[in-house]
Amino acid sequence: MERKIPLPMLVLAILGFCYLLFPILVVVLAGLTTGEFLTFPPKGLSLRWVISFLNSEKYLSAFFFSFKLALMTMVVSTILGTAAALFLARSRFIGRAALRAFFLSPVVLPGVVVGFALYAFFITSGLGISRTIWGLWIGHILYSTPYVIGTVGASLATFDVSLEEAARSLGASPMRAFRKITFPNIAQGIQAGSIFAFIVSFGQFEVSLFLSAPNSEPLPIAMYNSLRYKFEPDAAAAGIFAITLVIASVLLTNRLVNIRRLLERQDG
Amino acid sequence: MAYVEFSTISKHFGNSVAVADLDLQIEQGEFFSLLGPSGCGKSTTLRMLAGFVKPTTGTIHVNGRDVTALPPEARDIGIVFQNYAIFPHMTVFDNIAFGLVERKLPRAEIKQKVDAALAEVGMTGFEDRYERELSGGQKQRVALARVLVIEPEILLLDEPLSALDKKMREEMKFWIKNIQRSVGITTIYVTHDQSEALTMSDRIAVMDQGRVLQIGTPVEIYEQPASRFIAEFIGESNLLNGTVKEVDGAVSSIRIGTATVTGRLTQNSSVSKDQDVALLVRPEMIRLHALDADEQPKLTGTVAETIYQGSVVRYRIQIADQDLMVEVANRPDLPRLDMAEEVAVFWDADSGVVMA
Ligand SMILES: Nc1ncnc2c1ncn2[C@@H]1O[C@H](COP(=O)(O)OP(=O)(O)OP(=O)(O)O)[C@@H](O)[C@H]1O
Ligand SMILES: [Mg+2]
Repeated sequence: MERKIPLPMLVLAILGFCYLLFPILVVVLAGLTTGEFLTFPPKGLSLRWVISFLNSEKYLSAFFFSFKLALMTMVVSTILGTAAALFLARSRFIGRAALRAFFLSPVVLPGVVVGFALYAFFITSGLGISRTIWGLWIGHILYSTPYVIGTVGASLATFDVSLEEAARSLGASPMRAFRKITFPNIAQGIQAGSIFAFIVSFGQFEVSLFLSAPNSEPLPIAMYNSLRYKFEPDAAAAGIFAITLVIASVLLTNRLVNIRRLLERQDG
Repeated sequence: MAYVEFSTISKHFGNSVAVADLDLQIEQGEFFSLLGPSGCGKSTTLRMLAGFVKPTTGTIHVNGRDVTALPPEARDIGIVFQNYAIFPHMTVFDNIAFGLVERKLPRAEIKQKVDAALAEVGMTGFEDRYERELSGGQKQRVALARVLVIEPEILLLDEPLSALDKKMREEMKFWIKNIQRSVGITTIYVTHDQSEALTMSDRIAVMDQGRVLQIGTPVEIYEQPASRFIAEFIGESNLLNGTVKEVDGAVSSIRIGTATVTGRLTQNSSVSKDQDVALLVRPEMIRLHALDADEQPKLTGTVAETIYQGSVVRYRIQIADQDLMVEVANRPDLPRLDMAEEVAVFWDADSGVVMA
């Protein structure tokens, strides 16, 4: 090994890594217990609760509801967030910094506040979307979009505007210049942003707590509700599936990006 | 009407004025340089012609057509940026083909034109490379090919050599000029490097603080600068302080210390008797020789410093209380002067320019 990492740094990094991985380990092992109750360390290992999860109408529907909601949120957040990031990066006006802070505020505000504010608004405005999937969707979009703005904004910050100008003076309309030059160069940022949006929505709790309907609960809410009454390990088993889904989505999109890269290089 | 015509163009960014009341006429096929210090508004001027920046006031005409309100893609102007702006996700081939694809040319024709452009800039064989696989000089060639292949009406170059090392810069200077001459394209070249402007241009506009100070051929700009600022910005100059003793048409006698020398007035400038002026003399225009006993030269000085630079030797000569830099070719027939030696100082009457 040529590159030497100083020992204290290495130790710190390993500790940090363990700290981050430990909760995942707890959930996975707890979900694989043979015992009746959620414990750590688990009492023996079995697939008992995983099978129970797969047979549980309540958890499965919550899992797929969350999946659907995260996909819907991802699509809208990606479009809105990309547009907002482009606007923030390209236009010069007084109050731009303030507007950026405003766009990013759902991330810094406590989720409880965002959830409660939306709930109060939906109720009092009489829009008829409080505690429906539409209201919940709006809440999730609001909460996920800043992540897209952040990642796309970061990739736009390193994107050289003269590339777009070069395309324009070579005859491309603004739309074509965006599609052929800007988009491919910020695609990584959009990609990362959309994964973020998906994951954030899939794991969202506070906003969902206020906005979800009793009969269609996202997975985190379903887990919470079930754990309130009985401390059963199928919640942990549900957690295993949630973690798997998130990891799979990250890996899959990475894979898709690479394939797209390959295709791009082949057509002349 | 000239081929490219800026009429009372100005550009304000908020309260700051980047370009003020600019009038320029550029002829077809001309190599025209905008020269000036950093921040003087050169790029802004170029970008207004390219269509990236909207002028605050004024109009721009190209080939008799008012282009002031046209978007960049409707202008038929090619621009090479300082950082070349090669599309990083495309091969060299696709970069050069970009403008042709936008013009919806048939595939075979695109291939043929791109190949020809690659050959013209000496980059045949590089079609499959990406930007990150090219050197600075190669990027420059690709950027130029990408623009020339669409045969634009005007070629704009914004400090295209500033990212290259010195040797490459010297080489590309002549290369660009040669390509420009063989294509015959009207070219506007932005630079803050006076030697680039002098070497390449048919005409130069010297700018400062958003204004054009002087427009002329390299010879005019160098030999008849309109102001001290231009004289000092272009090349190296000695500015000797003196007073006007006598004015006779375009020639005047200037008293410097106890000596009297003659200087020539530039066009449109006038001085009056007893006025304090500066006399501009370029270092290479001055001749020196050791003082003979029976000689009565107009101007004498002492050698205060000798700087050997290989091809030339530079002397700092003290005349009364003023310094004069003199550059002498390093030739065996020109005598070397010693420190503290008394020397006679000469220049042709034409070589001294009086600056008000
Ligand atoms: N988009 C902009 N917003 C605000 N001010 C600007 C903008 N573009 C240029 N300026 C200002 O206008 C002035 C002229 O800028 P310009 O880029 O034309 O200078 P330049 O002569 O090209 O300088 P350089 O040699 O450094 O490139 C500068 O003071 C600059 O700060
Ligand atoms: Mg500039």
